[in-house]
Amino acid sequence: MLPLSYAIRNLLRSKSRLAQTVGGSALVVLLVMAAVAINQGMSRVLSASGSPNNVILLGTGSEESVQRSEVSENTTGIASASIPGIQEILGVRAVSGEIHFMNYISSDDGSRAQALIRGVSPAILHVHPEVRLTQGRFPAAGEVMVGRLAWRNLGLKQDRLKIGTSITLNDQTLRVVGRFAAPGTVMESEIWAAIGDIRVVAQRETISCVVIRLEDPEDFSEVDLFAKQRLDLELSALRESDYYGRLSEFFSPLRAMIWITVSLIALGAVFGGIHTLYAAFASRVREMGTLQAIGFGRTTLLLSLLQESTLACLTGTLLASTLAMLLLDGLTVPFSIGTFSIEINSTVALIGILSGLLLGIIGVIPPAIRCLKPALPTALRS
Amino acid sequence: MMIQCQQVSKSYYKGSTVVTPLQALDLEVPKGEFLALMGPSGSGKTTLLNLLSGIDSPTSGSLIIAGANISTLKQRELTAWRAKHVGYIFQLYHLVPVLTAFENVELPLLLSGLSKAERRERVHTALKLVGLADRHDHTPAELSGGQEQRVAIARAIVADPPLLVADEPTGDLDRDSATRILELLRELGTEQSKTIVMVTHDARAAAAADRTLHLEKGQLLENLQTT
Ligand SMILES: Nc1ncnc2c1ncn2[C@@H]1O[C@H](COP(=O)(O)OP(=O)(O)O)[C@@H](O)[C@H]1O
Ligand SMILES: [Mg+2]
Repeated sequence: MLPLSYAIRNLLRSKSRLAQTVGGSALVVLLVMAAVAINQGMSRVLSASGSPNNVILLGTGSEESVQRSEVSENTTGIASASIPGIQEILGVRAVSGEIHFMNYISSDDGSRAQALIRGVSPAILHVHPEVRLTQGRFPAAGEVMVGRLAWRNLGLKQDRLKIGTSITLNDQTLRVVGRFAAPGTVMESEIWAAIGDIRVVAQRETISCVVIRLEDPEDFSEVDLFAKQRLDLELSALRESDYYGRLSEFFSPLRAMIWITVSLIALGAVFGGIHTLYAAFASRVREMGTLQAIGFGRTTLLLSLLQESTLACLTGTLLASTLAMLLLDGLTVPFSIGTFSIEINSTVALIGILSGLLLGIIGVIPPAIRCLKPALPTALRS
Repeated sequence: MMIQCQQVSKSYYKGSTVVTPLQALDLEVPKGEFLALMGPSGSGKTTLLNLLSGIDSPTSGSLIIAGANISTLKQRELTAWRAKHVGYIFQLYHLVPVLTAFENVELPLLLSGLSKAERRERVHTALKLVGLADRHDHTPAELSGGQEQRVAIARAIVADPPLLVADEPTGDLDRDSATRILELLRELGTEQSKTIVMVTHDARAAAAADRTLHLEKGQLLENLQTT
């Protein structure tokens, strides 16, 4: 084997080429890591938002979107009374009628933004036990409480939407009286108000859905049966986890777009790398010939060239990982139904490292082959 | 015998025409001989050296070098054979520019399985022999042409191969440097009983050898020339 120092010194032969390789691979790896982390973050928030114990009753035909769904208001009471297996907390059955509503709000400083608003009753805390009031209290009429990440989704500064401030929603002024957290779920990006207020603001007679928390996920069949028997209510029962699973599929074209973009950039970088290496290796044909004359086999030389390029690309990967940790880790990204956070975890890092390695290997093989291909006498004459 | 060539031919295809620089050539070189090869440019001198050193394979004929019939070896076997049996000295030295003199000379030993300490010892000895014991850490760019060629000779002999081939080793050097190189090669022949085949254009260089052969029209012509 040729020593690693040979590979390292060859890399240092041209500082500009080294910078180009390291920079190019860093860019690609950073993009790959970002794409993986975005995908993961989106999946994570969607899967965390759906509890296996919860069932959503939606209007038939609106299974895709709770915002478009319409359910008669008395469904909440009927479902609560007739479905067996519903969880009871302190004697109250965990059934929550909700209105999901998207509209512009204005905050105190006059900034307007589209917000995810949910009209709720305190029962929602029973179907979503992960919701914690971190400050203040649950809203009564004329009041709202805001999710921990609502500011992010609204594009506001983090210190907005404080308790005591107010927001305006279709000319109605609502006071912020509470803040809540529901770690990792889409709810954290929402603004919750009393369901009566939202019915008025949204000018609707119906509610969007009824969420039921079951003692046992197996009892879904009971809810399903209820929905199918009560034809008059025009209901469709969906496991909450399935609902968010479908939403996740809804975003798959977006994810595909992200991957296509990253792949195209990566492809460009690889071709750029191959191009520079062709030029760089052309001047080393004779050196490769000399080493073969001394007795080094082509495979050994190929490995050394591979070592060179993977070393450069792994340096780029290291740079990319550092940048990802500094710039991307912990970042929150708003999307249409919530906010997800970017986490540079071990999976992301591993995929980053693998793509860095792959870049090094794919980028060097064609130029290396061309460099090692000439017959030995020809190589020595060059 | 170190070298026994029998009816060795080498042809190249240049498009549709066939060039045959070597035609049914016979050559015998005894162990320890210093042989000079002369001949006009394009007469096939480099081609012959390449065959003798296992860099290239003949189109036909048999080549027995250091006891092995190398005309039948496969590429991979030839590579391994070269590492043990031949030191090649090039006109333009062909040192690896990113490596120091020491590291250049060490290259053949990386294939030998010697320990680091043993390698250092042998590199040191080889560099001392060529008079460059004080240039270990110099890169080729920091050496003169004559010094570079001496490093190249140290590299060729460090693994102790029985055969040295040199293709116009003094062709790019001034007279004084050339003289040193020729003295060095002679010494290697007499003191270390290396068999040396050296291609040269220079009659003065050929005069350093034990015997000179002329390559013309694919054949070797004996020309009794003594030192
Ligand atoms: N790889 C090759 N392909 C085609 N022709 C070659 C090749 N190598 C050498 N030749 C031809 O063989 C002849 C001998 O070349 P060479 O051995 O280099 O001569 P010399 O070293 O005596 O100058 C020349 O005519 C040269 O053009
Ligand atoms: Mg020649």
